[in-house]
Amino acid sequence: MPGPIGDDAFRSVAEGALRLPGVDGVEVMFLHEWGGLTRFAKSEIHQSTAREDSELRVRVVTNARVGVASTNDVSPKGARRAAESAREMAEVVAPDPLWPGLAPPAEAVGRNGFDEATANTAPETRAEAVATLVAQSPEGFTAAGAMETRASEVGVANSNGQFCWAPSTIASLTTVVSGGEEGSGFAEVFAGRTDDVDAEEVGRRAAAKAVSSQEPKPLDPGEYVVVLEPAAVSTLVGFLAYVGFGGRLYVEGRSCFSGKAGQEVANRAVSIWDDATDPRTLGIPFDFEGVPRRRVDLVRDGTFVDAVYDLRTGKQAGVETTGHALPAPNPEGPFPLNLFLATGDASVADMVGATEHGVLVTRFHYSNVVNPVESSITGMTRDGTFLIEHGEVVGPVVNLRFTQSILDALKDVSMIGRDSDLASEFFFSASRVPALKIERFQFTGRSDH
Amino acid sequence: MLEVAKMAVEAAVKAGADYADARMGTDLTESLTVRNQEMEGIDRSESTGVGIRVLVDGRWGFASTARVSDEEIARAAALSVDVAKAAHRLPGDPVTLAAIEPAVASWRSRMTEDPFTISLEEKVALLMEATRRAQQVKGVTFAEGGLDFFRRSTWFASSEGAAIDQVTTHSGGGLEVVAVAEGDMQRRSFPNSFRGHIKAAGWEHIRTLELIEQAERIAREAVDLLSAPECPSTITTLVLDSGQVGLQIHESIGHPIELDRVLGMEEAYAGSSWLKADDRGTVRYGSPLVSITADAALPGGLGSFGYDDEGVPAQRVPVIVDGVFENFLTNRETAPVVDQTSNGTSRADGWSHLPLIRMTNVSIEPRQGTLAEIIGDTKDGIFMATNQSWSIDDKRINFQFGCEIAWEIEKGKLTRLYKHPNYTGITPEFWGSCDAIGGREAWTLWGTPNCGKGQPGQVARVGHGASPARFRDVQVGVRG
Repeated sequence: MPGPIGDDAFRSVAEGALRLPGVDGVEVMFLHEWGGLTRFAKSEIHQSTAREDSELRVRVVTNARVGVASTNDVSPKGARRAAESAREMAEVVAPDPLWPGLAPPAEAVGRNGFDEATANTAPETRAEAVATLVAQSPEGFTAAGAMETRASEVGVANSNGQFCWAPSTIASLTTVVSGGEEGSGFAEVFAGRTDDVDAEEVGRRAAAKAVSSQEPKPLDPGEYVVVLEPAAVSTLVGFLAYVGFGGRLYVEGRSCFSGKAGQEVANRAVSIWDDATDPRTLGIPFDFEGVPRRRVDLVRDGTFVDAVYDLRTGKQAGVETTGHALPAPNPEGPFPLNLFLATGDASVADMVGATEHGVLVTRFHYSNVVNPVESSITGMTRDGTFLIEHGEVVGPVVNLRFTQSILDALKDVSMIGRDSDLASEFFFSASRVPALKIERFQFTGRSDH
Repeated sequence: MLEVAKMAVEAAVKAGADYADARMGTDLTESLTVRNQEMEGIDRSESTGVGIRVLVDGRWGFASTARVSDEEIARAAALSVDVAKAAHRLPGDPVTLAAIEPAVASWRSRMTEDPFTISLEEKVALLMEATRRAQQVKGVTFAEGGLDFFRRSTWFASSEGAAIDQVTTHSGGGLEVVAVAEGDMQRRSFPNSFRGHIKAAGWEHIRTLELIEQAERIAREAVDLLSAPECPSTITTLVLDSGQVGLQIHESIGHPIELDRVLGMEEAYAGSSWLKADDRGTVRYGSPLVSITADAALPGGLGSFGYDDEGVPAQRVPVIVDGVFENFLTNRETAPVVDQTSNGTSRADGWSHLPLIRMTNVSIEPRQGTLAEIIGDTKDGIFMATNQSWSIDDKRINFQFGCEIAWEIEKGKLTRLYKHPNYTGITPEFWGSCDAIGGREAWTLWGTPNCGKGQPGQVARVGHGASPARFRDVQVGVRG
């Protein structure tokens, strides 16, 4: 079975690049991933994979000229070859006036996110979990989805002497149950360990949604009160990060938060922060430049605090890096990968009970930016959209298109869930968020199912 | 390298596979980004490995590894068989592959100047000059130019006796200009958004792009957009440039015609389709003007190849003929469902992924006229250009797409400039309202290098040939 090569082996491999002569600095980023995914549709396992791959990404600096080369040849020779290629590129480009230097030595401390059993999960174990999930679907319904178990190790070493390395694991199970007279239901779970994935609970939840979603009725687009379950909230928070929280967008006036430091941007009950070190998320304790990560408050009690930064955008903004670099080169700048939205004191049932006329949304689908400076996005509801009348869910409605400013929605938050789920809008990040009740939400179209 | 693929197939059969294929592959990339005459990023990457796919008693298994040693390949082969055996935990119909003649062949995409041999100095100089020209326009915040080069070498072998080696080379470039004012940001891209215009070609394609020559024009447009009014919210006639027609094809035709989506195999992630498996020859997809072809044999597209990742030869497939839906995109597993043999669209995101049905070059057949002639023939409406945003539901019915720029059309002429243009519609109604499609002279084969699908997520490089087109009674200017 594959397994981590370990910090000592990574150090040896990195030396092949770090000893490159004739340059001012070298940084080696290492990523090694292995695991399996059992995919199912129509309650059959139809596509299953076991994959292993690595990447050595070498950044070379000479007189503030920067080149990057990567390879999946994880050997001192492979590292050296990538370093030489990066040096060749660095030699032909102009100096970067904002070059901040490589990260200084600093200890990155975080949780132990590696579970040996998860890293070694056998195909049979995933198949068994899928069978358990599928068994929750009633007659006439089938389940589709994927069970994934994945391990990774990430390391960063540079010629300043910084060295960090962390292994981690993730287990996820996601499903859509559909059938009957037309209607579907969704459920998912993300965890750090295979043992924490309750396939029966995920299957039961999605099946119940699917049964409740039968024969959806048309609903006129317009402004509605909405109750958004955590998966739907993760879309709002994920896109807010995309259009707002990156330091580069912020300092260049392209963020929806540009010029709003210290201003109220959301309801005072709304707080958002990023914290890769929190055990309730799936983060590693340093960024891809080797800078230790820590909690960074982004919106505190409804007021925008600041964006996230890497070394270069920190220099651009005149602040310290917050440890949010992505792998180089990265023209988009830093990004928060482990967001949290503060919980409140309500249940979803409380929110529904407090709604006279509104819509309950399980999740959104294929959302995209309409106007980044206004934090406006569009997307569709999917796999469980329900009409609420007089404090009760009265039945399913067809999928609706929304076009909505995220910040406007967060200003109109009236209730916040007391529980939170880890949910993922983008494959590369996850947010821990509760359900929200929002008093004004714009639906601008509808589909036929 | 072909010997490695053959060895992997032998190892898989020895481990218990009824059928096995293997792809040994190497991907090379080079990417340069210059912003305001400063280097934003320059990088190269190289990735090598082998992926082994097996059928055991009618169930798929797949395993891949980057460590290409005899022992590691034997381990991955055995693992692929274990993965397939585990799939039998749930009952289901066994996979039956459509028959093909195993090919022994070698194929290269066309190219006259190898982009990987062009000096970095020449590449950087092009982007420096293009961004310098754009920066000269007052009000520009930044101009960013990019060049991307990609080469995939694949050695494919199967237990049926196929032995194929292929090399595809893609080259692309583009320029993006951003203007920022208080509370507003406007972007113009050329020749297209999202890294420009990418083709299966060499450096000779970059020479045709006119990044330097067009830099000032798009810079002026970006600045002018800051003071332009919002696109009005109304129902009107809509003319789209060929790039946006390409995106419209991709999202509202290319995906729903994938037979795996129709059969529910992608339902939990990317979604399914509004089409049903028995819809061929009966469903009206668009107006009689609309004919769509999927053509992997067309030179120059990101969906051009000699053989797909199951060893099926490239084909030209009529998808929509005079507005009527005729054919799905299929692979060897799904084609028998519609009583066909595979039309060769099974492709993987490199050696480390399982092949899926992916678009090839899914294009609209040209009709008549230039963009200017279509606009000249339009009494009133809106012309939108260059995709900025896309969203569509899980069955590919309700869509909303945004563009970078729009102009009002009055009496056949472009007049007022509009910012934040977007439009929304229902797929068959929208294509049913198409009453003009530009001719061959207005037709461009665009590249889409970022098509996502599958679990684990895969990115495919696909092509779309498109002319400008006109649609009637379209809702534009959607705002929340």
